[in-house]
Amino acid sequence: MIFNTFAYYLAFLLPSAALYRIAPAGLRTWVIVLFGSGFFLYFAYGMAGVWGAACLFIFVWESLTSRLYRPASRWCLLGMVQSLLLLGVFKYWNFFTSLVFLHRANPVRWQGAFLPLGISFFTFEFYHYAWDRRAGKTEAGSLDEYLAFILFFPTMVAGPIKRYQDFLPKLRAQPVEWNRDWERGVTRILTGLVKKFAIADLLTAWTNHLNAHDILLADRRILPLWLLAYGVKIYADFSGYSDIAIGSARLFGIRVPENFNWPYGRRNIQRFWECWHISLTRWLIDYIFIPLGGSRVAPLRVYANILIVFLLSGLWHGAGLNFVVWGLWHGLLLCGHRLWRRLRGAPSPHPLAALSSSALTFVLTNAGWAFFCMDLHTAMLFFRRLLIG
Amino acid sequence: MLATLRTFFEYLGGERDDAPLLHSARSRIFLRCAVWIVFIVLIYFFSGQSSKFIYIDF
Repeated sequence: MIFNTFAYYLAFLLPSAALYRIAPAGLRTWVIVLFGSGFFLYFAYGMAGVWGAACLFIFVWESLTSRLYRPASRWCLLGMVQSLLLLGVFKYWNFFTSLVFLHRANPVRWQGAFLPLGISFFTFEFYHYAWDRRAGKTEAGSLDEYLAFILFFPTMVAGPIKRYQDFLPKLRAQPVEWNRDWERGVTRILTGLVKKFAIADLLTAWTNHLNAHDILLADRRILPLWLLAYGVKIYADFSGYSDIAIGSARLFGIRVPENFNWPYGRRNIQRFWECWHISLTRWLIDYIFIPLGGSRVAPLRVYANILIVFLLSGLWHGAGLNFVVWGLWHGLLLCGHRLWRRLRGAPSPHPLAALSSSALTFVLTNAGWAFFCMDLHTAMLFFRRLLIG
Repeated sequence: MLATLRTFFEYLGGERDDAPLLHSARSRIFLRCAVWIVFIVLIYFFSGQSSKFIYIDF
C-alpha cells in the first residue's frame, strides 16, 4: 500500500516537505533522515512486525561501513558483497535451498522469512555507491548526506533507483522554485493516484481471472484480453507508483530519475527496455552488462551477456521459476532482435513496417507478462489453452 | 502533431514544466484547476477498491 494511504501523505510527506522548506541548510538532510527513519519504522512494522522495523539497523550499518569506502579500496568490495548477501538471504534463501533439496523436505527452510521493506531497491543503491566509490566515480559526501540518500523515503520502497552523484548536488542546492515544484509535484502525485485507482485497480476484476481454475473454464477467446488487461494494469500500477515517487521528491525540490517513457508502442524490444523501468535498465547495464564485457566482446559473448543480465533481472523481480522464464524470454527477444539487425541492417523507414514492428513488440512483451503474473504451471496451461484449446 | 500532443499530455501529468499550446498564464492556471478537479473526482470515485502496488516487496 504506502502511497495509497493517508498516513503517507499526512504523517510523512507533507510535514517533511514543509519542514525541509523552512529548515536551515545544515539541517535539511536531517529532516530527510528523521522522516525517512520514521517512515521505515511505521510501514515496516505494519508489514513485518518488530523484526521488519528492526531492519532499520541495516541502514545504520550500511551508512557506517560506507565511511570506509575509498577509491580502489577492498572495503568497497566488502560493501558490494554485503549488499548482495542481504538481498540473497532475505529474498532468495528459501528459493535456492528448496532447489537444492528438490523433492525432499527442506531442513534449512527459514520458516519466519520476511522481506525488509524496499530491500530489492535499497540494496541496489548500496551496491551502486560501493562500486562507484571504488571506481572513483563519486565523492564520499558526509554521513548525513549518505543517510539522506539511502533514507529518502519517496524512492526508498520501489525506486526510481537513484545515483549518489546525481542526488548529492540536488541535496546541497538551495531549492528556489518552491511554487512550481509544489504545483508540478502535486500534479504528478495526482496523476499517479489516478493511474493506480482508476486504471490499475479497475482492471483487477479481469486480471484476477488469471488462475488455473478460470483459465480451464473460460472461453479461450477471452484469454488474450485478460493478459492484455494485465499488461495495461502493470504499466498503470508501476508508472503510477513512479509518478507518485517522483512527484513526492519534487515537493522537496529534488528531481529523481524518470522510470517510464511511453514504453508500449516502441518499435523493438531494445527500445522497449530503454523506456520501461529505465532506472533498473540503466543499473543492470552499468553494474552487470558492462562489467561482463558489454557489447565490445565476441558476438556469442554478447548474446550470453544479454541472457545473463535478463536471467538476473528475472530473478530480481521475484524468487520463482516463472520470473526466471520471464527474464529469459526477454533476453531471448533481445538476442533475436540483435541477430535480426545484424542480418537485415537498419529497420525500414516505411510507416507500415514501423507500425507492424511496434505491434509485434507489444504482443511479445504482453505474452511475457503471463510468466510474470502466474506461476510456471499456470502460465503453461494458459498458453496451452490459448493456442491448442 | 503527435509529438506536440504527447508533450501536452506530459505537461498535464506533471512530467514537464513547460506547457505547449498554452501561451498565457491564465490558460495554464485554468487548465491546472480543471485537471486537478478531474483527477480528484476520479480518485474519489475509484479509491474504495485499492490493492497493493505490484512492485513493492513484502
